[in-house]
Amino acid sequence: MGIKGAGFEKSSKASSEIPSSSMADIAFLLLIFFMVTTVFQRDRDRPIEWAAAASAQKIDEKQKNILNIWMERGGDLYINDQLYTMEQATTVVAPLYAASERALVISIRGDREVPYRYMDQLQTALVNAGVVRVVFATQLEQSMQRERR
Amino acid sequence: MADIAFLLLIFFLVTTTFPKDKGLAIVLPEQGEETEVSQRNILHLLIQSSGIVIVRRGESQQEQQMRPQEIEGLWRQEVTANPNLIAAVKTDPDAPYKFMVDVLDALHSANAERISLQVLEN
Repeated sequence: MGIKGAGFEKSSKASSEIPSSSMADIAFLLLIFFMVTTVFQRDRDRPIEWAAAASAQKIDEKQKNILNIWMERGGDLYINDQLYTMEQATTVVAPLYAASERALVISIRGDREVPYRYMDQLQTALVNAGVVRVVFATQLEQSMQRERR
Repeated sequence: MADIAFLLLIFFLVTTTFPKDKGLAIVLPEQGEETEVSQRNILHLLIQSSGIVIVRRGESQQEQQMRPQEIEGLWRQEVTANPNLIAAVKTDPDAPYKFMVDVLDALHSANAERISLQVLEN
């Protein structure tokens, strides 16, 4: 008749396992914490009517490297939720462009009815700021709509 | 319960897609970068404030009126005849932006790469 544990007694009764029953709770807590504290850097959308284009492609750039420039119907210019005049556009964009190490893509979000003169002024301002990559942001036009036109 | 919550969480994580911005990309010229182009290689697209596009080929004074949607076919034709062709899109300052987008859209659909955007001076 053998002796249990070959005669040796365990020196401690404490369990050597990490309790895993509360792991899910901790994970949830962490998850909720990060969900609550995360802030997305995005400007608010301006009320514009989008132009539509069938050949619009996704902007192949990280979200943080895209700067939205909003152009409202009356020619009002909004960058990062702030109203600027056309003359200020160069001085506002140039430092942002330099800070991004020339990786910045400008997404021009113009109202479909805005007179082209403002768009031309904006493009001139962007060229003066040294910007190279520009996207005319549009909605994707459905082929059905296109046929109807 | 936690397992079900995790499953749901992972399901939504996987199926969520953030809407990516779409648009027509162009490359602006660098400051002071001007190149002389032979008139022979230019296709003038003059966008009027009414949305009608007047097409003029290089030197010839012949003009043709078109709708923006017809530009795509035109470009495909013209570029096979002359691969060095450049589209000079000149928009009337009073023309709504959407007409320029329509023309740019047509050019993009026709895989045009050399596009110059200007404002139409009278």
